[in-house]
Amino acid sequence: MLIIELIKLTINGKEVGAPTGSTVLQAAELAGIEIPRLCYDKDLSPLGACRLCVVEVKGNRLLPASCVTPIFAGMEVQTESEAVVEARQTILELLVANHPLDCMTCDKMGDCKLADYAYKYGVKDSSFAGATHQYAIDDSNPFIIRNLNKCILCGACVRACEELIGKDNLSYLNRGFHRKATTAGDVDYIESDCVFCGQCVAVCPTGALTEKTMAGQARRWDIKRVQTTCPFCGTGCNFDLAVNDGKVIGSLSNPNSPVNGRNLCVKGRFGWDFMYSDKRLTSPLIKKDGKFVEAGWDEAYDLIAKRFNEIKAKYGPDSFASLSSARCTNEESFLTQKFTRAHMGTNNCDHCAGACHAPSVAGLTNSFGSGAMTNVISEISSEAELLFLIGINPTESYPVVGYKMRQAHRNGCNLVVCDPRRTELAAEADIWLQQKHGTDIPLLNGLMHIIIKEGLEDKEFIATRTENYEAMKALAAEYTPGRVSEITGVAVEDLYKVARLYATTYKAMAFYSLGITEHICGTRNVMSVANLAMLTGHLGRPGVGVCPIRGQNNVQGACDMGALPNVYSGYQSVTDKAAKEKHQKAWGAPMPDKVGLKIPEMFEAAYEGTVKSMYILGENPVLTNPNANHIKEALEKLEFLVVQELFLTETAQYADVVLPGASFAEKDGTFTNTERRPQRVHKAVEPLPGKADWEVICEMVTRMGYPMSYNHPGEIWAEMASLSPSMAGISYERMEKESVHWPCTSADHPGTPILHIGKFTRGLGGFQPNEHIPPGELPDKDYPILLCTGRVMQHYNVTTQYSAGIAEVWPREMTEVHPQEAAKLGLVTGSKMRVTSRRGSVVTTAWVTDKVQPGVIWMSHHHSETPTNELTSPFVCDIAGTGEYKVCAVKIESA
Amino acid sequence: MAEEMRIVLRNYGKIDPLKIEDYIAAGGYKALEKAKGMGQQALIDEVKKSNLRGRGGAGFNTGMKWSFSYGIKTDQKYVVCNADEGEPGTYKDRIIMENDPQSVLEGMAICGYAIGANKGYIYCRGEYPCMVEMLNKAIDQAKAKGCLGDFDIEVRMGGGAYACGEESALIESIEGNRGEPRFKPPFPPVIGLWGKPTIVNNVETFANIPAIVDKGADWYKAIGNAKYPGTKVMTLTGDITNKTFVEVPTNTSIRQVLNDFGGGVAGGKKFKAVQIGGTSGGFIPEAFLDTQLNFDDMSAIGATLGSGAFFVMDESRDIVDVVARIAKFFAHESCGKCTPCREGTMRMEEIMERVNDRHGDAADLDRMGRLGRVMTKACLCGLGQAAPSPVLTTMQHFKDEYLSKFN
Amino acid sequence: MADYKDIINQYKDLPGGIIEAYHAVQREYSYIPEEAVEAAAAAFKRSKAEAYGVATFYSYLKVGKRGKNVIRICESAPCHVAGADAVIAALEKELGMKMGESTADGKFALELTECVGQCQATPVITINSKPYENVTADKVAAILTEYK
Ligand SMILES: Cc1cc2nc3c(=O)[nH]c(=O)nc-3n(C[C@H](O)[C@H](O)[C@H](O)COP(=O)(O)O)c2cc1C
Ligand code: SF4
Ligand code: FES
Repeated sequence: MLIIELIKLTINGKEVGAPTGSTVLQAAELAGIEIPRLCYDKDLSPLGACRLCVVEVKGNRLLPASCVTPIFAGMEVQTESEAVVEARQTILELLVANHPLDCMTCDKMGDCKLADYAYKYGVKDSSFAGATHQYAIDDSNPFIIRNLNKCILCGACVRACEELIGKDNLSYLNRGFHRKATTAGDVDYIESDCVFCGQCVAVCPTGALTEKTMAGQARRWDIKRVQTTCPFCGTGCNFDLAVNDGKVIGSLSNPNSPVNGRNLCVKGRFGWDFMYSDKRLTSPLIKKDGKFVEAGWDEAYDLIAKRFNEIKAKYGPDSFASLSSARCTNEESFLTQKFTRAHMGTNNCDHCAGACHAPSVAGLTNSFGSGAMTNVISEISSEAELLFLIGINPTESYPVVGYKMRQAHRNGCNLVVCDPRRTELAAEADIWLQQKHGTDIPLLNGLMHIIIKEGLEDKEFIATRTENYEAMKALAAEYTPGRVSEITGVAVEDLYKVARLYATTYKAMAFYSLGITEHICGTRNVMSVANLAMLTGHLGRPGVGVCPIRGQNNVQGACDMGALPNVYSGYQSVTDKAAKEKHQKAWGAPMPDKVGLKIPEMFEAAYEGTVKSMYILGENPVLTNPNANHIKEALEKLEFLVVQELFLTETAQYADVVLPGASFAEKDGTFTNTERRPQRVHKAVEPLPGKADWEVICEMVTRMGYPMSYNHPGEIWAEMASLSPSMAGISYERMEKESVHWPCTSADHPGTPILHIGKFTRGLGGFQPNEHIPPGELPDKDYPILLCTGRVMQHYNVTTQYSAGIAEVWPREMTEVHPQEAAKLGLVTGSKMRVTSRRGSVVTTAWVTDKVQPGVIWMSHHHSETPTNELTSPFVCDIAGTGEYKVCAVKIESA
Repeated sequence: MAEEMRIVLRNYGKIDPLKIEDYIAAGGYKALEKAKGMGQQALIDEVKKSNLRGRGGAGFNTGMKWSFSYGIKTDQKYVVCNADEGEPGTYKDRIIMENDPQSVLEGMAICGYAIGANKGYIYCRGEYPCMVEMLNKAIDQAKAKGCLGDFDIEVRMGGGAYACGEESALIESIEGNRGEPRFKPPFPPVIGLWGKPTIVNNVETFANIPAIVDKGADWYKAIGNAKYPGTKVMTLTGDITNKTFVEVPTNTSIRQVLNDFGGGVAGGKKFKAVQIGGTSGGFIPEAFLDTQLNFDDMSAIGATLGSGAFFVMDESRDIVDVVARIAKFFAHESCGKCTPCREGTMRMEEIMERVNDRHGDAADLDRMGRLGRVMTKACLCGLGQAAPSPVLTTMQHFKDEYLSKFN
Repeated sequence: MADYKDIINQYKDLPGGIIEAYHAVQREYSYIPEEAVEAAAAAFKRSKAEAYGVATFYSYLKVGKRGKNVIRICESAPCHVAGADAVIAALEKELGMKMGESTADGKFALELTECVGQCQATPVITINSKPYENVTADKVAAILTEYK
C-alpha cells in the first residue's frame, strides 16, 4: 500500500494535514475551508493570476496566492485575516470597476463567481470607477456569445482550449489593462480556427462566454439539470441537459462524467437542437395512393399488425426482416430483436454495425474470442506510452477521444499515425506513415516482419498465450521491408522506426476504426492489428490493447443487445441449444434455428423477392449504405415497410407506415459506449410524438398478438440482464451510482475495464495470418480518381443536419480535392463539382487542400443533397459483409 | 570628500572594449582559469563568502543562488545575464557592457563552470541595438581566442517591456513567449529556462565576479558596508549638476553622492527629493540623505537601492506631477497577468492624473493608500508590488503637495 | 525589400527565436505585416493566437503598418522633468500629427517610449533606435531633415 505522508500545518488556528506537494488551497479544501478563487480550476494548469485566493502566511511579508503556494510543515495560514479581506475586497472592486453591471439581464446570473464573491465580500460598487473596456460583442456564430467586457482574464478559456482540447485557438493579445483573451488577430470566433467544442464556455466563471441557445431562456437557478449520455458518437460522453418549462435549452458540462469530464465536442454541446427541428415527425404517417397521410396511432398499429401477420402467414417467418438502430437505446434494440425472434419467428435482425464495425466483431472474436475494445479510454492519458493509430481520425470522428490523445501526446506520450490522409493527429504525430489506400495488411505484416527479424517479439507471450504463431511467422517472412515499401509507399526506414518503437514500448495502445474495417479485407485488417498486438505482448494489461473506437453512440449496445442475426443479447449464439432453450422459456415462444440475414443480405433478399416486409427503427440505409441506388430498388420491391424515425428520411420515403420517433432527450434508457460501458439516458422532456420508441414498439407488438408490457425501460434492462450472463451484474440502480464495463457477471463484480488479462476469452489468442487483398475497385482510365469517405467533426451520420446551429457552420458537403487535381479542372474552394462513379453521380462543393494525396478525393456522407453513398463501392468484406466505403474509383469534373 | 572605487569599471577608459587582447593584457580571463582550478564547490563557497549580493535589485546572495542550481543533477542548466536595464534613470549596465564587455562574459563563464552549465544567454534590452552588436563581437572574439572553453553565450534582444527585467518574465521572453512572470516557487535556479535550472544575474553582478575570484572573498567583503559589501554603480539624473555615473563603496551616503560626485543640485537650487533605484523606488526627503547606499540601509528607510538610479528633484519640482507620470509608466508596463496590477496600475494612474489636474479629493488619497497597500502585498511579481511605492512614499513625505492640489 | 518569409526562416531553428525573427522583420519593414505573424507561427510551430500574443506584447513590436522611420520620445520621469513635453509638442507640430500616428507619406511614425537608458542627456528621442540627446524643441526640425 502506498503510504502518503501528511504534512502538518495550521489553517485559521486549526491543525490540518495534507499530502506533500499540496498547495495551501488544496490543504484548506481538505480541511473544509473554502478559499475564494477565480483563475484556479482543478482541470487546468495553475495560473496564480487572479490573486483572489491570497492568504496570510506567518513570516511572509506578502500575501501569497494559495492556489500556487506549496505547504510546508509548521506553516501558519490565515485565510480571512484583515489584510486578506482587504485585498479580496479591493481586487473585487477593481474587477467590478471594469465589468458591466447588467447582472439583472445577464444569462450567467446565479452561476457567476464574480457575483458570488462580490456578494460574499460586500462589494456593492467600486470606488475605482474609470475607463472601461468597450469591446464589440461577438455573436458571429450560432453557439457562443462572447462578451469580453465581462472577461476577468482568469485565462480559463485560453487554458481549456490549449490543455483540454489542444486547439490553441486562444491566447492573450496586448498587455496591461488592454490585455485580452482572444483569438489570433482578435477575429470573431466564426472566422477563427474555433471548433465550437464550447469548453471555453464551460470553464468561464462569468458571463463573458455564454451559450447562445440559452440566452434569455431561463435564470440559472430555474434550470433543471438532467444527466444524460450523448447521442452522437461511441465515446459515451455525459452531460446535463438544461431544461426549463419542459424545454431543453442547452447542454451543460457535468464534471462527474466518467469518460469526458467537462469536455464535449460541438455536437454534444450544441447539436442537441435537432430535436426541435420543424422537420420532426409528430404523428404516424400512412402512405395512401403514394402520399403520406397523418394517421392516429390505432390506425397505424392496426395496419402494421395486419400486414406483418399476413405476410408472415403467406411467405413464412423469414420473409420478415428488422433493423434496429445503433442510435436508439439498448432497451429499444432489445425489444426489436425480441419481437423479431419471438413473434415474427426469424433471426433476420441486424443494425448498421454491419456497415461499420462488423469486421471488428468478427475479427477480434476470431483472434481473441471477444469483439470488443480490449482496454478503456482513460488509459490514453493515464497509462499509455505510445498511441499507435491506424485508419482512425479521432479528432473528427470521436473528438473527445482525439482531444485526450492530443493531450497525452503533448504530455510526452509517443504518437504514431498510419493514415493515407493528413488528419490533424497525423500532422502532429511523432511519426506519420502515409500508406496508400487499402494497403493496411501489408503494412502491418511488414512491421511484424521487422519485429521478428530483429528479435523484438514477446517470445514468452507468444509461447504461453497464443497459437498458430508459426504460420504467422512464415507469412510475415514474405513481407520484406522492400516489398512492403513498394506496396504501401511508406519509406523503409519509417517502417523500421515504427516497428521498433511499437515493439519496444512497454505500454503501446493500438487504435483503429473504420479506416481499417470498411475495406474488402476489413475483417482481415482487424485480425492483422490483433496479430501485431499479440506478437509484441501488448494485451491484457493497462496501457496496451487493440481498441476499435465505435462510430455511433450505441453501436456497441445494439450488438450487446442481440440486434444481430447470429446472437442473442450478451453474444449468446442463436445456434447454441442452451441459449435457445433459455430464451424460448423466457419469452414463451419457439426460437428460430437458422442464423438470420445481415443487412446487405437482407437487401439482396428483398431485391430477389424473398424478404417481403421490414421494420426499420432509426436507420437510414439509403443514405448510409454503400451502393445506395441498389438499396432503393430493394426497398421498392418490399410489400410492406414500417420505418420508425425522427424525420422523414430518405429511407422513410419508401415506407408504407412511418412511426414518429422520440429523441434521446425524450426517453429513458441506456447507451453503451465503445469501451463496453452502459450509461443512463434520462428523460428530460416529454416525447414530441407523445410516446417513446420503446412504448411504441410494445404497443405495436402487442397489437400484433404478442403481449409486451413494461412500466419503465429499467424493467426491459432487467429482463435483458437476467438473460445475459456478461451483463447480469449491471442494473439501473447500479448505473445511477457508478458506471462499469461489462463483463460484469454479478452485482458484486467490479466490471472489466481490461479484457484478456491472463487468458483470452477464447483461451489462446489466435494468430490469423493474412495476405494483401487490394481494394475491389481501384482507379483506372475511365475513373481515374480514388474516392475515400468518412466523417467530419461537425456532423454525426444523421440528425446533425437537422441542428440549426451545426447546419449553419457546416451546411454542405465539402469534398477535399488536392490542388493538383483542382488546378487541372480549374476548381477553387467553393467551386461546384460533379463526382461520378460506375454507380451514380453527385454534385458537391470542392475544398482544395493537400490533406489528401494527389489523385484522391475525400467526401463525407452527412448530407442528403450530396448522397455520397450513391458513388461508393459494391464490394464488401468477404467475412463480415461490410461495404468498402473507403475506396472506389470515380471521375470528377467541374459543375 | 568621498572617493570612487572602481571594481566593475576597473578597465573603464583603460582598454579598447572591442579588443580582447587589451582585456587579457589587463589580467582578463585569469579568474576563469583560477576558478576552474578551485573546483565547483569551493568556487561557489568563495562567492558565497564574499557576500556579493545581486546588483539587479533584489539583493540576494549570489553564491547562495548558484548553490541551488549546482545541487541539481540534470542534463542541462543555463546562465542568463540580465541586461534588460529597464528602470528609468538607469544606464549603468550599458556603461559596463560598453566599456568592458569581456568582464561580463568572464563572470558568466565562471558561473557556468560553478553550476555546471555550458550555455549562457545575455538578455539585452531592445533599446540597445548597438549594444547587441557589440556583445556579439565580444563573444566572437572570446570564442575565437578560446577564452570561454566549451561555454557558449548567445545574445537575445528584448522588445520594450519593463516587466521582462523580472527574471521569470525574462525567461519567458527568451523562450519566445509573452514576457509575463511565472508564479514562484519554483524559482529559476530550480526550474527556469525551458524547465531547467537557470541562474539569472545582473550585468553588474557578473562584472564583479572575476575580481572576486581573482582577489578573494576576504578582500571583497572588506569593501564598503559589510552587510552588502563591494561597490555600487549609480547613475545620476534629474536636477543635478553632473549628470554622470559613479562607482562607490556601499558605505557611501546619499548626500556624498549628491554633493561630492553630483556637484549638488543643479543651478544652485534647493534639494527637494531624490528617488533611488529607479521608477519603482521610494522618494527620499532631505531628512534621510545620510543613509548609506546599500540594500539594507535603504530598505530601513522604506526606500530601495534597486538598480542604482539616482534621480534628483529640486525645490521647483511638482512631486505630484512627477508621481503621476510614474503612475503612467506602470500602467504602460504592467504585463496584465494578475488582477491587482493590471487593474490597479490603471486606476492609480487615473487617480493620480485626477489629483494632479486638481480634480481629486481627500478620499482619493485613502483610495490610493488602500490600493497601494493591497498591490504591495498581493501582486504576482515585483513590478506590481513595487509600483505603488512612489505614491505611498510621497503621500508620506510630501503630503502637503497633495493637499495643495485640493484647493 | 526582403520577403518576410525568408527573414523568418533564418531564425526558425533558434529555440524561442520568434521575437528575434520579429525584430528582423521590423528592421526591414519597420513593422510586422499580419501575414508575417502567421508565417512566424508556422515557422516556429506555435499557434497563430500565440504568435499574435507575442507580437502584441512588446511595445517595440508593431503588428500592422506604420511609418518607415520610427521616432520615439522618452517620457519617463528624468526626461519628463527635463522637458519632454515641449519636445513632443514640437515633433507633433513639425510632423503634423499626434503621438501614436504615422505621417500620410508613410515616412514617420511617432511614439511614446519609456526610458531608453540615455539619461545622462535628457530629454532623449530615438529615431530607428538611434538616440539623440539633450533634444530641445528648436533642434527637432534639424534632426528630422536627415530622414526626409
Ligand atoms: C519589474 C522588475 C524589473 C526588473 N528589472 C531588472 C533589470 O532590468 N535588470 C536586472 O538585472 N534585474 C531586474 N530585476 C530583478 C530580477 O528579477 C532579478 O532579481 C535579477 O536579475 C537577479 O540578478 P541579481 O541577483 O544579480 O541581482 C527586475 C525585477 C522586477 C520585478
Ligand atoms: S504584478 Fe504586474 S507585471 Fe507582475 S505579473 Fe502582475 S500584472 Fe504582470
Ligand atoms: S485562484 Fe489563485 S490566483 Fe486565481
